[in-house]
Amino acid sequence: MTRTELADEIREVIYECAPELEGVALNEDTVINTDTAIDSMGFTLVICRLEAKYDIRIPNRQWQKLQTFGDVVSAIESRIK
Amino acid sequence: MLFETFHELLSCYAEKTPEAPALIYDGGGKPAELSWADLLKKAEEAGDRFKGSRTAAFLIGETEADTVVSLFGAVMAGIRVVLLDENLPEDVLIEQIRLTDTDTLYGDEELKEALTPYLCSPKDPAPGELLFFTSGTTERAKAVVLTERSLLRSAYNGGSLLPLMPSDRLLLMLPLNHVFGFVCGLLWALNFGASAAIGRGARHYADDCAFFRPTALSLVPLLLGFCLKYRVFNPELRLLLIGAGDCPPEMLAAAKALGLRVSFGYGLTETSSGIALSLGDDPYTFTICPDFRVSIAEDGEILVESPETVMKGYFRRPEETEKVLESGVLHTGDLGTIDENGALHVTGRKKEMIVLPDGTKIFLPEYEAALSAALHGADLALLLHRGILTLAVSEKAGSEEEILSAIRPVTAAYPRGQQVRKIVRLKEALPRTATGKLKRYAIDLEKENIK
Repeated sequence: MTRTELADEIREVIYECAPELEGVALNEDTVINTDTAIDSMGFTLVICRLEAKYDIRIPNRQWQKLQTFGDVVSAIESRIK
Repeated sequence: MLFETFHELLSCYAEKTPEAPALIYDGGGKPAELSWADLLKKAEEAGDRFKGSRTAAFLIGETEADTVVSLFGAVMAGIRVVLLDENLPEDVLIEQIRLTDTDTLYGDEELKEALTPYLCSPKDPAPGELLFFTSGTTERAKAVVLTERSLLRSAYNGGSLLPLMPSDRLLLMLPLNHVFGFVCGLLWALNFGASAAIGRGARHYADDCAFFRPTALSLVPLLLGFCLKYRVFNPELRLLLIGAGDCPPEMLAAAKALGLRVSFGYGLTETSSGIALSLGDDPYTFTICPDFRVSIAEDGEILVESPETVMKGYFRRPEETEKVLESGVLHTGDLGTIDENGALHVTGRKKEMIVLPDGTKIFLPEYEAALSAALHGADLALLLHRGILTLAVSEKAGSEEEILSAIRPVTAAYPRGQQVRKIVRLKEALPRTATGKLKRYAIDLEKENIK
């Protein structure tokens, strides 16, 4: 799977968790905390859904470091390779 | 019942209802129970693991039954216990370990290994002391010295206003390193001989209620919003206790509309949790807990007296302690009033004020909310920088001209001296605590190269 394909799948998960974001562009440099309506709880849900979808585990301590949409894609990408 | 020590609490119910469940936890995909008799036995055994130690730091992440058992064991073994948030950066954890003379660690093995080189040699024992770090929204975090006695007293106090039955099941979804989680997510239940279900952490916020079927739940507002949005509450749930931050009335109303009894709590880490609880229809009218004497200072600050539950002080910070604790009276830093019925109303945070050079004060939350609304919900903060009222705002809010234009109608409603005079567009998100509170002290405008 290419990074672009993976990013598309992750966008779908985010839109499922936060339907109010449907139509909002999520680019590599979109800052999750400030550029979207997802609060920290919503972000937790997104990460948990992604962990389940790809059967991976991102340590909780790493969650704090995921700032942008690109960071999330990279975190998933590095664990499914 | 009122207990003085954890050992007394566990022994009482181990004798009274030995087979009843004290803790409920994830036993490999289904709920498992630890009886009162077993909890006492295992806690005593766990205490042996801390022999030779004087101060043990618990790295709190996803709490497990063993964390609770070991924590009780460590306190019962007569050593000081420090509760740390394992999600903090390593350098902060190292600072906290050094500050508290920690000589033993409990928690995630990988993190323990990384922190072990920074452990101190054992110092004097401090039986019964538990140290909680404040979230520090306005200044660097401090370690608050509480005791098992003060925490149990706090659970008793809150429980006398909001009692549980032995058949109740309280779900612990909050981290134990927050005093609200410790008292209102754990001790509240155990004090009544009820069961505490140990939540499985952030990954299970959405399904822990369905898994553990609690009858009572303590939440912070952020988590309440999550639970409502994703409809996670189970049909057996009857009581919600909300605390540790401001909660929008519509959120409380939404919870009540589900048929739940909702109580809102006001308290501080420095008071071992709850000072007052809302018991009636108005969530912002607080009934003061029995142990507390509350008064209002001339400037509107809420002052609290309670020798039984107020902290001993900030660990190794006597000057900081003296600033807030004078002759047994704690200056809460919150503003409020007491009505004719003796009920407390919390109106704001004293520290969320800016005093301008001309002596006028600005109450920040409402000003910031209005500015944020004008900028379509942009993340922002008002600060006094070099004597000038400055708006720090995400650069995504627009160009300086666009921002100024958008906020003009808001600032125009304030006297000229209280109008925003400078805009600083930030590249990074504003620093916030885990519960979403703004850490004003951590905003570094000098870093932004402003003129």
